[in-house]
Amino acid sequence: MLDATLIFYVAAVGLILIGIAGIVLSAHLVRVIFGIVLLEAGANLLLLLATYREGAAAPIFVKGAFPAVMADPVPQALVLTAIVIGVGILALTLSLALRVHRAYGTLDIREIRQRMEQDIADAAGIDMPTSSEAPAPVYAHEDGRS
Amino acid sequence: MNHVVLLVALPLLTAFLLPVINRVSHLAGRWAGPAVLLLTSAIGILLWGDLGNGPVAIELGGFRPPLGITIYVDQLALLLALAVTMGTLLLWPGGGEDRLRQSTLALLLAGAGSGLALSGDLFNIYVFYELVAVVCYGLIASRGTPAAFAATLRYLIISSVGAALALAGIALVYQATGTLNLAQLAQLAPEKLNNIQGLVAFVLLLVGFGVKAELFPVNAWVPEVYATASGQVSALLAGIVSKLALVIIVRLLILVFQQPEAHMVMLVLGILGVVSGELAAWRARDLRRMLAFSSIGQLGVMFIAFSIPGPAGVFAGLAVALHHMIVKPALFLLAAQWGGGTRQLAGAARVSPLGAGLFVLLALSLIGVPPLPGFWAKLLVLVSLSEQAQTLYYLAAGVILAGAALEANYLFRVASRFYYARPGQVPPAAPRGADLATASLLGAGLLASVFLMTPLAAQVEAIALQAADAGQYVATVNPEALP
Repeated sequence: MLDATLIFYVAAVGLILIGIAGIVLSAHLVRVIFGIVLLEAGANLLLLLATYREGAAAPIFVKGAFPAVMADPVPQALVLTAIVIGVGILALTLSLALRVHRAYGTLDIREIRQRMEQDIADAAGIDMPTSSEAPAPVYAHEDGRS
Repeated sequence: MNHVVLLVALPLLTAFLLPVINRVSHLAGRWAGPAVLLLTSAIGILLWGDLGNGPVAIELGGFRPPLGITIYVDQLALLLALAVTMGTLLLWPGGGEDRLRQSTLALLLAGAGSGLALSGDLFNIYVFYELVAVVCYGLIASRGTPAAFAATLRYLIISSVGAALALAGIALVYQATGTLNLAQLAQLAPEKLNNIQGLVAFVLLLVGFGVKAELFPVNAWVPEVYATASGQVSALLAGIVSKLALVIIVRLLILVFQQPEAHMVMLVLGILGVVSGELAAWRARDLRRMLAFSSIGQLGVMFIAFSIPGPAGVFAGLAVALHHMIVKPALFLLAAQWGGGTRQLAGAARVSPLGAGLFVLLALSLIGVPPLPGFWAKLLVLVSLSEQAQTLYYLAAGVILAGAALEANYLFRVASRFYYARPGQVPPAAPRGADLATASLLGAGLLASVFLMTPLAAQVEAIALQAADAGQYVATVNPEALP
């Protein structure tokens, strides 16, 4: 019984770690967004597991039936809320990504950042930091993608 | 006292009705938002008098905690709810061509921010936090420039990661205790969360909610967003939204996570925030990003102050937070027109003597020059730090002093440019009238507080003592035992 729950705990923590790795390591915006989705799924699973009980009945009272073990409805309600919030924010993220792609013509987050820094510097009327003052800029075409 | 719910409900309701109201009458659509915020501000101020008998807990719908949702009103919560309501009114962003959408977002910010301040339940806090986050994305992106969209997207990614981590932290808390009601958590925490699981949960919640409070490792969004958003939105985010997130963390620290390791984590992150923020601000070459980085440093000072255990730390942190809440919005309003490179600000004093004078006054207070309020706030932090017999706290005090020296250097560098213009150099544009008026109002408040320092300090200390009293929180909410 413990083992079954343990697998789910490992899965939840694994999803969280895969999500964080995807966000940190990917340069492609869509992969970063996938990373966020996985991270959220891991967090949701962790919340569901918080009070998971083996073989528990759904917490609905039916006339004449008195189940010995009932699942805790609170985390389920919470996860439902979290999923809804997550989907809403995912839609917002994708629409923003679309706007950024339309403006900059790229989904490479390093290039997006570079273009944004350039825009900010132009708006402020200052030069971009040069290599003597800041790490050299990373351009996307260095690794063959654009 | 039940009327306090109106601070949350009225702005939210008006926000969703606004498109309909606007269709019926453009005039009503224009003024409905400010009018409602004026009304809720008045309600909040009237309720302040009722708090004399101590904090009040409201059970929504009459359900007792832990099953019902608790609204907890103490002076700190009401003060923050008032700050977000009045701040949104003062910095009303619904002026431009995109009026309807901006007004809706501003109303949502006031409602959700008040809800965040008043919530006595961890999951409610999460929901309101996410609502505030979505509103912030909308407000930042509303500039419509490609850079604003890119900055919003990068902020959204960091903030989503933070929210997911906070949710994982909530899962750990629920797993250990079986409740999310803060009062009940305060009862159960010494027994069930005083372990490594509790510490992990705190770190997850700290990093998660810390995104908006500009906490050290999750604040990469700050310079980008403040450089691309409008002056009012930057002022709202830096001045008020960051304090909302900060106070949530402080509440959790006071009520639930009392172990010394939790305080140490926050102290270390605060020190790193001051060091990184002040150094980056010192190197910044445009005013907006300078102010953004300096805001990271100031938030770091607050994290350091709140990490001091006991009421003294809450008092000191609250003083710095309230001071920052007045000074930073005013500075960002001045930077709305003067946000460019600091070199181009030469001769600004000739274009707008009032604006330049205000900047110098606010900068002096931010650095901590007596007798301005910023000095007393920093002094409080340093005195409380020196009373802690631990090396790390002494280090923090040294870092804060060094940060003040850096602040003086870079802020005076800007201020001196205002007053020296080489011949032939084109002076910058003057600040807009509305921005200048709001900044003057905040500056006047700052000056007035110099003369009212004694009663003000007593009031802030009373708020801090009430907020730091976990026993009173539990007694007020009085949750039933778990079934």
